[in-house]
This record gives sequence, structure tokens and C-alpha cells, in this order.
Amino acid sequence: MTEPRQQSAKEFNEAEAIERAKHGDAHAFQALYDKHKRRVYSLCLRMTANTAEAEDLAQEAFLQLYRKIATFRGESAFSTWLHRLSVNVVLMHLRKKSLPVVSLEETTQSTEDESPKKDFGAKDVMLAGSIDRMHLRRAVDSLPPGYKMIFVLHDVEGYEHNEIAKIVGCSIGNSKSQLHKARMKLRDLLKADRAVKAGRSKAG
Amino acid sequence: MNCVELQHSLAEVEDASTAEQRAHLRTCPSCAALVKELNLIASAAGDLREADEPSPRVWNNIEATLREEGLIRPAPRHIPSSFGARWGTFGWLVPAAAMLLLSFGIYLHQQSTKPTNIIARQAPTYAPNVATADLNDEELLQEIADNSPAMKTQFEENLRQVNESIRDTQGWVRESPNDAEARHSLMDAYQQKSMLFEMAMDHTLP
Repeated sequence: MTEPRQQSAKEFNEAEAIERAKHGDAHAFQALYDKHKRRVYSLCLRMTANTAEAEDLAQEAFLQLYRKIATFRGESAFSTWLHRLSVNVVLMHLRKKSLPVVSLEETTQSTEDESPKKDFGAKDVMLAGSIDRMHLRRAVDSLPPGYKMIFVLHDVEGYEHNEIAKIVGCSIGNSKSQLHKARMKLRDLLKADRAVKAGRSKAG
Repeated sequence: MNCVELQHSLAEVEDASTAEQRAHLRTCPSCAALVKELNLIASAAGDLREADEPSPRVWNNIEATLREEGLIRPAPRHIPSSFGARWGTFGWLVPAAAMLLLSFGIYLHQQSTKPTNIIARQAPTYAPNVATADLNDEELLQEIADNSPAMKTQFEENLRQVNESIRDTQGWVRESPNDAEARHSLMDAYQQKSMLFEMAMDHTLP
């Protein structure tokens, strides 16, 4: 591309850009990219916690999108289609890395460990006040991918459960259930983190 | 509702807004603290949304790959906007008129430069084809410079754009010989060039 980027992201509406992209218009491809790149990249970055990997995955997601764009008929929202592709690319990547990817079904089955704790009223560390961004990020990074995906889509990226259900390919109930479990898990992780910190300061 | 039931119910109604949930929370400080903490986590999560965007290399790689795979096609260049304004809503007449005028112009030009051959020759008929792109631009530019020097710069720029358009669309046709849109764009580009020649000759002929 030799033209300035601002010019490339000119005033296409999305439907027009999609139609032009189907005919191989480079400006239309770039306009679609410019519109959606942040959200796709953010999702990839939160899921991988690695900028280089996130960029590679965002690139792969957009390439897959553009290769298939001629088949887009507008039955679903374009952004939903794109994010479904992105989620698939990310999950595929995690599988290739042989990380313990928890399937959606697995994560919704209750286990003894995940059952509601009856002792949460015990004298434990409270998450009072604000939560430090760095600690929260670290805790999110350590979530199992199944939980993490739903948490990132809902609480970080702001998707509704019905959108997540379409993007991830699960039921709305499943999405809600996983989100709750993800938050509970994060609460445990953050509390453990605070407890360690409190122990250190006492020892010091 | 007891504590366990409340925890289960939070998956479905996360803001604990049902009457049952609220009733339990009023009497259970532990569950109230739990709900507060979960809400705190949810609200803090928005801060994790990345404000940064991917580096330019991502788009560069995407674009290079799309070009390699032939998914990006060269866009036919448009004729300078002044042309459109000049011809207005009758633009569809331009190619036909240009061809007629160009034929006539070439005929007159030949008459003026080679009077001895008039009888022996018939007026050439013009049809846009690949050879149009090979008309001698330099000679025509020279004629314009001699007869209408004020037009030379503008004409030179227009000619450059039209030739570029022809090259682009020729490449497109080579890549996709069966693409009707590509062939149509190439014909358009040739017609634009013929129109440009007609306009130039209109100004340069005595």
C-alpha cells in the first residue's frame, strides 16, 4: 500500500466494505481490518498473554476471514462471524501448544472441587477496595482456557451472553455458568495472592 | 435460600437481583461479601481491555499474503475528476463520441501533414484495442507543448494516470483472463485514453 492509512480507512460503511472486499478491493480489506483490529487483537492478547503470539493469531484470523469473505451472506453480524473465527484460531493455537484446554462441556460439569464452598464466611482475606490491574491480569492468565475465553469475551470485551453463545458455539446457560465459575476462580486466585502478600509483609 | 443455593443462582442471575437472592443477602454477610467481590472483579475486568493495537507489520503481512493469493486485485484507476465534471450526466456518450472524434481527428491530422497521400488513403477507422496504449505519447505531448503550452502539464498528468490505469488493468486481465469485470475495466481504460487523445488533438490541430 502506498497511500496513507487514513485514506484507506475512508468512509466505507461496513456493508459496502464487505461487498468491495468480495471484489478484491484492497482499501475495503484495510477498512474492515482497521475497524475490527483492536478487538481481535485484544482477545488474542488476553488469551495468550504474549504480544507476538497475539499478533500472529490476529493476522491468521483476518486472513481466514478474507479467504472466506466471498461466502459471507450476512445471516449473522459480520463482527460475530469475525470473532467466532478469532476464537477458533486462538483455541486451535492453544491446542497445538498442548495446553490443557478445557472443553466447554467439561467446564460446566460440577466437580467436588468446584462445588460452592460452604466456608467462604471464614476469616479470610477480603478483596476490599480496588483490584490491582496487574494482579488481575496475572490471575486471568492462569485461568483454564475454557473459563478464560468466556471471561475475556464477557467481562473484558463486553459481549453479551447471547453473542458469546454464537461466537463460541455454546448455549447461553453454558456461557453464564462458565462466567460464574471463572469469576469464582479469579476470586480464589486473587485472595491467595493477597494472602501471600499479607504473609510477606508480616514476616518483613 | 441458603448459601449454597445462592452461589448456584449467581450463575443465572449474576447481579443477585431476585427477591430470593436479596432476602438471603440481607441476612448473610458472607454471601453479601461474595457478591460484592464478584462484582468488583467484573468491573475491574474492563481495565484489561487492550488499548493498544497490533503493530503495522500485521496489516503488512496480511496485505502481502492477500496479494500473493490473488485476493486483492489492482483497482482500476479513475479518470481525473475534472473529466467527470466536464461531461456530467452524459458520461456514457463520451467513449462513443471520443472514438468518432478521434477517428476524424486522426484523419484531419493526416490530411494536414501528408496532403499528397489523401487520395490514396481512406480515413482510418478506430477501434479501441491494445495498440491504443502504444500510441506515441511523446509526439503528442510535443504537439501540445508547441500549440497549447498551458495545457501540457495537466495533459501530461492525465496521460500518466490513464497509462497507469491501462497497465494495472492489463495485469488484472492477465491474472484473471476470464474475469468479465477485468476486461470491462481494461476497455474503459482504453476508451479513456482515446478520449484524452481526442481532447488533445482538438486543442492542437490548427
